[in-house]
Amino acid sequence: MSGANTTRLANLHDVELAALAAAGDRAAFGELVRRHGSAVRGLLRRMGSPPAEADDVAQDAFLTAFERIREFRGEGAFAAWVKKIAARLYLRRLQRERRLAGLAQEAEDAAIDAHQPDAAGRIDLDEGLKSLGAAERLCVSMCYGAGLSHAETAEALNLPLGTVKSHVKRGLEKLRTRLAPAGAALEGKQGNG
Amino acid sequence: MAELEFERRLERLFGDAPAFSDEKAFAMAVERKLARGWTLRRMLIGAAGLVGGVVGASQLILSNFVGQVEAASEGSSRVLRAGVAEWAPRVELLSALPDGSSVVWIASGLAVLAMGFVLTRVIEEF
Repeated sequence: MSGANTTRLANLHDVELAALAAAGDRAAFGELVRRHGSAVRGLLRRMGSPPAEADDVAQDAFLTAFERIREFRGEGAFAAWVKKIAARLYLRRLQRERRLAGLAQEAEDAAIDAHQPDAAGRIDLDEGLKSLGAAERLCVSMCYGAGLSHAETAEALNLPLGTVKSHVKRGLEKLRTRLAPAGAALEGKQGNG
Repeated sequence: MAELEFERRLERLFGDAPAFSDEKAFAMAVERKLARGWTLRRMLIGAAGLVGGVVGASQLILSNFVGQVEAASEGSSRVLRAGVAEWAPRVELLSALPDGSSVVWIASGLAVLAMGFVLTRVIEEF
């Protein structure tokens, strides 16, 4: 019975699962967590969160998503919706613990040695992100990982829009020099598991 | 143009979720928290409904509501009986009802139950 239900849920689209979850079906929501848990956890780690904290925030994000599931109408992808919730929760946590201002300062310090091309060691996204300053990493991850606009990111980080744009610009420049060319090392790495 | 292409590539890279060995454990942890939250919520709703019902009942009793309803009930019951007698003399439904204050107590009890039910639904919705 339970196995049949699991199979049935596995065959449903995210929007259908969300509709079931909105009607109180926790098993349907569990299927959504199974499908998109890794994406949310991955994003938080890419934003610079330590693994344990990332998992903690990711769990909170899914619980929040369940509470607000009726707001999800299927206009965008479910994963993108939860990622936005997770990114905002993580920032709120940083603000609450007064770590956000420290991160912004770290970014300024890191920006001093920003322009050191490292074309020799071409790497994947996760490694590339590690070479960014904390605020650059946050801004790039929020804009390209969580799908927030520059303005939304500025508001969430409580930073001027211009500052966010320059963090993103610097971050992109660094990533462009450090990331493997499309189709090369990254795919090789994925293929090796 | 190259910039735009790079940005699209970056979005795709971000879209690739990394694989975690504990994916199932993570999902189960979320489901456990959901179940725990749900149980707690149900208990809180039940407790709130009970408290609301008791408060409602005590307010009804303490505000001399019963006396007022009893008086009103006697008046309206006379009117109703007269109406029924006029329109359907053969119907003897009202005679099946208990007389006087017991009707008021039954109505009050039902009102308290209804209030508790409504309160429970309202809390569940918000």
